[in-house]
Amino acid sequence: MILEVNDLRKVFHRDEVAVDGVSFAVPVGGSLAIVGESGSGKTTCARIVAGLEHATSGTIQLGDLSPKSGRKEKARVVQMVFQDPYQSLDRRQTVSSCLGEILDFHSDLDKSQRAEKIKDLLDLVGLDQRYATALPKQLSGGQRQRVAIARALAPLPRLLILDEAVAALDVSIQAQILNLLVDARAATGVGYLFITHDLSVVRHVCDDVIVMRRGQVVERGPVEKVLGDPTHDYTKKLVGSIPRPGWVPARGSTRD
Amino acid sequence: MSATSDRRAHVLGPTIVSGANVSAANVSGANVSAANVSGANVSAANVSGTNVSGTNVSATNVREANGRDVLLEFEGLRVEVPTPVGPRPVLRSVSLAIAAGEAVGLVGESGSGKSMTARSVLGMLPAGATRSGAVRFRGAEIGGLDAAGLRRLRSRDVAMVFQDPRATVNPVRTVGDFLTEVLRERGLSRPAALAKAGGILEDIGVDHLRRRLKQRPYELSGGLLQRVVIAAALAGEPDLILADEPTTALDVTTQEEVVAILDEQRRQRGTALLFISHDLELATAVCDRIAVMYAGEIVEILPAAQLHEAARHPYTKALLRARPGSVPPGERLQTVPGVPQSAIDAPPGCVFADRCPVAESICRTVVPALVGGVACHLEGVS
Repeated sequence: MILEVNDLRKVFHRDEVAVDGVSFAVPVGGSLAIVGESGSGKTTCARIVAGLEHATSGTIQLGDLSPKSGRKEKARVVQMVFQDPYQSLDRRQTVSSCLGEILDFHSDLDKSQRAEKIKDLLDLVGLDQRYATALPKQLSGGQRQRVAIARALAPLPRLLILDEAVAALDVSIQAQILNLLVDARAATGVGYLFITHDLSVVRHVCDDVIVMRRGQVVERGPVEKVLGDPTHDYTKKLVGSIPRPGWVPARGSTRD
Repeated sequence: MSATSDRRAHVLGPTIVSGANVSAANVSGANVSAANVSGANVSAANVSGTNVSGTNVSATNVREANGRDVLLEFEGLRVEVPTPVGPRPVLRSVSLAIAAGEAVGLVGESGSGKSMTARSVLGMLPAGATRSGAVRFRGAEIGGLDAAGLRRLRSRDVAMVFQDPRATVNPVRTVGDFLTEVLRERGLSRPAALAKAGGILEDIGVDHLRRRLKQRPYELSGGLLQRVVIAAALAGEPDLILADEPTTALDVTTQEEVVAILDEQRRQRGTALLFISHDLELATAVCDRIAVMYAGEIVEILPAAQLHEAARHPYTKALLRARPGSVPPGERLQTVPGVPQSAIDAPPGCVFADRCPVAESICRTVVPALVGGVACHLEGVS
């Protein structure tokens, strides 16, 4: 396992329980989706794994990384891609400088090796070499997200956390990025922790899925089983709410 | 703006475009004579093509709507916004007619001009924008309305529902104030207006009415607040609701509830709907017809029920195939190369030509007219 999370609990402001005893694991090179609606605690789980929040209780084991290791060691194991490619890049930094900075920080490359590595990363995410000198404002949303993914893959992490990483993209661009994620996993053996509210994208990039509601896991298993034949009422409702051919929206019994 | 000046303004756009066409054709050599001869003709053909299609579409619409009157009609609508390098189009040519009581879905990717099209109905264009072509509500050109007419249109005839309910509802007033504002302005007493607003809230499944009417927006969830916005839209008893991505900010289970309510109430009241969405399946579920926009143009219009089987435009097909869920898990999604075209620097010919898998030389030089529901030179080929 590259990630093992046990009985994770996060309480904000003394009494707001965001994550309530959640356990999950990602095999080496595996791909786990955490799905749920807003407020389910899925993003909090991801942020704790990435080290952006501290857990109230519970354990997180990242591969064979010692819990005492520093941020730099941790960053070589786990990286994160955020939803908004417009906000996650430095607007004054060119693409090659952005990738080069991460490479310099994590490895000891000479100039030509560094240039070669940047070229490889751009190839990996399907960005033309001419964009190496571009600033973020010269790139489209899809291209920026490719840069963000390339940057996250630069230190050769073993786990990539993708927090709604395709949610802000148009459908034709989203399809390109989903294919890219499938290819990058096959090429590098990186594992994915894929946080999303969109069940239809889960089928394309993930092997396993956990469904969260109000801080707890309500259902877990292989993607095909959970989305194809859900057993929990909430998962059924979630799967049934996805617009699809022949779908008729129904007024449910829920009142909030 | 008179009809003639409309036409004239309309001629200007395509003429410039076809000027570029001619030079492009000249470069290619083989077409020189044809291009030279038809230099002026091409533009004439373009213009008449657009106009004809506008008329065709509305004629078809009326028939499809079983003789119901056309409520809202766009004809060759073109909107240009000022940029540092001069005016640039955000809508190139939009022709569409919506019958009374009909629901039309306007779908497309970001920047395709969906919101701008809806906003043009209420005369809410960006500062400095210029408009040519026509937008008619019940036959009256919106550009010709005086302040009182525009006010009546915005407050009584047409209601708009935006994506973010928190940006729509005044945060320091109560839900009751928000819902009764329009009714009170029409002269209803406060108790009568509150009773009516409460009745609509009840219709759309909001409970604890007394408490809700006294609450302020921050006390309500996003889904509940969007239902309040829809209730306010219905309260004015409009003939048309413009809904611009009304459920995009909501969770998927809440989205189902909200679109079901919108659909049900609209049908019961016979209200027409222009439903803007980036989600083809969602629009299909609540609309009678789907209009697909790309780079400031409508490239295809078809009955919602036939979207999957009868889509003919390469862009519509590409959109359908790019959705996750369109192929079995594990298979690759079919993608469209390149990025969505912006209307601002759209090519001289078909707006989709640069990304189209089946484009031919004619697609790059001549703008296809929207005829029979599809704007494609190769319609039926692919």
